[in-house]
Order: sequence, then structure tokens, then C-alpha cells
Amino acid sequence: MKKIAVLVKDVDQQYEALRTSLGALLEMAEVSMFVLDHEIADMDEAYSENMEFLDEMEGLRYSNNQANVDKYGFQPVTLADVGEAVKASDIVIPF
Amino acid sequence: METLHILRSEPDATTSELLEHAVEPNSETMKLYAGDVDWDQLVDAIFAADKVISWW
Amino acid sequence: MAQSLGILVTSDKHLDNVVNLTKAASGKAVDVRVFFTGKSVLLTQEERFKELVGRGKLYVCDVSFRANGLEGKEVPGVGFKEFVTQARNAEMIEECDRYLVM
Repeated sequence: MKKIAVLVKDVDQQYEALRTSLGALLEMAEVSMFVLDHEIADMDEAYSENMEFLDEMEGLRYSNNQANVDKYGFQPVTLADVGEAVKASDIVIPF
Repeated sequence: METLHILRSEPDATTSELLEHAVEPNSETMKLYAGDVDWDQLVDAIFAADKVISWW
Repeated sequence: MAQSLGILVTSDKHLDNVVNLTKAASGKAVDVRVFFTGKSVLLTQEERFKELVGRGKLYVCDVSFRANGLEGKEVPGVGFKEFVTQARNAEMIEECDRYLVM
């Protein structure tokens, strides 16, 4: 099983990154999604539902933005932690 | 294990900090934004490396 | 057996990189597969996109294509079977010897 780190820095691609994370999870990969710097810009029904699906599929989601931790249940992370996760991953997908 | 880091654009503050933590000593870095790129060499480097990370 | 390279394209900023890398890799008999998703689907309408045709297998995320208002537009080298879901990208990750984002 491949370990995949999805790094999301582009606000406009937050939903796209979530879809890519789910696609990889469905192929039995181990996926951690890291939303960096920005709060989720559009927590609409589609993002919310797919985020729940990611949780159900045992995907992991982290953020270094405190609002994402407080409002949406992302696990807190530092950039140092993300760097370590990148080293431990087989595949890194930046958005 | 050797990792090839490809930088597509000049790193901003976040990317720079990530690179500080993610780049290991036995790594190679190729910058695509800094002038002429030898694409044949890049292909060789991609397959010579054990792992490839293409940053923003 | 030929080596394979999977390229995920997520941005609409790096078409030159995609074309140059695909040309160089296919010139070395590498089996290249390119998946366009998100904003990168806009690149399918650019002139240089045609240079990718015949140099690798090209796939386009159907959801992204429609979300970016391109439904009904033709894409050189991409038939209806190559308009795919994110599952194809995940398969590329599994299948290819090397996989990277451009």
C-alpha cells in the first residue's frame, strides 16, 4: 500500500485536492491530506460531504491553520511535521 | 534512498520551510524556473532516483 | 519492458514543462501517461497541447472539464474513453515506475 501526502496550498484547489485524496483512498492507498496556511475557503455541502467520506475511508487530514482545526476538526500540524510526513511518503501531490 | 526534488517555481516562505525539513542530505534538487533546463537529463534523474517529489 | 512515467497536471501554469518533459521522456522510449485535473484542464484548449498527441496516453478529469465550462469542447488526442475519474489517477500512481506532479 502506497503512502501518499497531498499538500494543499492553493486556496482555489482545496476541493480538487480533496477529490484527488478520495480517489487515491478508493484505490487502497494510505492518504494524508495537509491543508496549509489557509482556512477552507468554501465549506459547502460538496466539500463537507467529501470530507466526511474521507474520514469514513480512514484518510487523515491535517492543517496548520487553527481555524480548520477548531471549526472543521482537522488535526493540528506544524510545517516541520509536514516535512517529516513528506519524507515518510512514497508519493507527494502538491496543489 | 536518493530523492529527487523538482522545484517548478521559486519557493515561497511555506515551501522554503517545508524544504528545510523534507530535504535529506542524499537528495538532488533541480530547478525548472531558473533558466535552461536539460530535459533529457531530468528524465534520467527521475529514473535514477528512488523517489521523486515535484514541488509547486 | 519500457519504464513508465505518470504525470499529474494540476495547474494551468506549467504547460511548457509538461510538453518538454513528455517529449524528452517519450524520446527515451518511456511509456508516458498524463492526467489533467483541476484548473489544468484549461490547458487542453491551448495550441501547445497538440504537441503532446502521440507522445503518451492523455487523460482528462471529466468532472474538472465540465466544472471549468469546457463541456462539448474537443481535445486533441483525447477520445471519450479518456475522459475519466480520479480513480484513473490513482491507478496511475500504482502502475507507473515514477509518478510526479507538473
